[in-house]
Amino acid sequence: MKPNMKPTTDDAAIDRILAAEEELIPSSGFLAATMERVREEASCPKPIPFPWLRALPGIVLAVAVLGWCGFEMVRAGLSSARETSFVQPHLTTVNVHALEPAGWVAAALVVPMLSWIFSRRMAGRSGLL
Amino acid sequence: MPAAMSAEEDLADVDRVLAGEVQAFEGIVRRWQGPLVNMAWRYCRDRGRAEEMAQEAFLRAWRGLAGWRRESSFSTWLFALAANVFRTELQRFPAVNVPLEDVAEPAGPATQHDGLAEKQSHDAVRRAVLALPQRYREPVVLYYFHEMDVAAASRTMGLPEGTVKARLARGRELLRKRFPHLNEQIAPLLSSTLPPKKEVLQ
Repeated sequence: MKPNMKPTTDDAAIDRILAAEEELIPSSGFLAATMERVREEASCPKPIPFPWLRALPGIVLAVAVLGWCGFEMVRAGLSSARETSFVQPHLTTVNVHALEPAGWVAAALVVPMLSWIFSRRMAGRSGLL
Repeated sequence: MPAAMSAEEDLADVDRVLAGEVQAFEGIVRRWQGPLVNMAWRYCRDRGRAEEMAQEAFLRAWRGLAGWRRESSFSTWLFALAANVFRTELQRFPAVNVPLEDVAEPAGPATQHDGLAEKQSHDAVRRAVLALPQRYREPVVLYYFHEMDVAAASRTMGLPEGTVKARLARGRELLRKRFPHLNEQIAPLLSSTLPPKKEVLQ
């Protein structure tokens, strides 16, 4: 017992019980079964590292497109805020901008689709599909 | 086995494994299977599951052997890794246990000379440990697994010693509340000595 633990008599009872645990002996096949799993693991081919070099142009392109989209969204938001008048009803402005979100929705659908097609082609070439 | 010799053998086996000799891992498993199975047993009190969890810990050790930075001893690294594995496994599939309030209190002092009753009462206390809240359970489990060494338990958990001591005190307090008559029942036994320390866990 460490001197700084300051055990009470109740603690001594608990210590007596919990410290006197019988030792379990692993079953006879434990060592063999564990080594079998280790050997299986060792014989498996190492996982293919992610092709960062090949993916780099795509990542750069995606970042550029996202950045451009963000920039355009902020710019559009700022210009529409400037055009919005809180004094007069602005029905005309609303009508003009009604179709703008549709373009963004279409872009949001096309980008994942292209990404999915691209990843399928990559996986197909690697023999994973 | 002397701890120093075990440490040297561990180091040699790790080097051989890292050099590509898979068979060298057998030495590590042979030396540490007992401690790891016993540690897992204290986490779940289910023999079959304890062996499964210990096997999983060995497999993780195999995968992460290159990540052992040799700042601490191999045993410290292995126990910490095993504790992580056991904790994760038990979070995914908790050990079957009952709430602390539902754990049967041991029989009264009249039966203290009855070996079976004594064994049952001790089992009840041990099972009650599993019913403790997780933050108190693990310090209690590891403190007694490491033969009442707070420093070793805190190294295994990766927590400061003060935190482990506080949680341990709270865990024991909960156990005392659940078993208020424990001291009377075990008083005759307290005069006898505690079991000898296990060399392998030093």
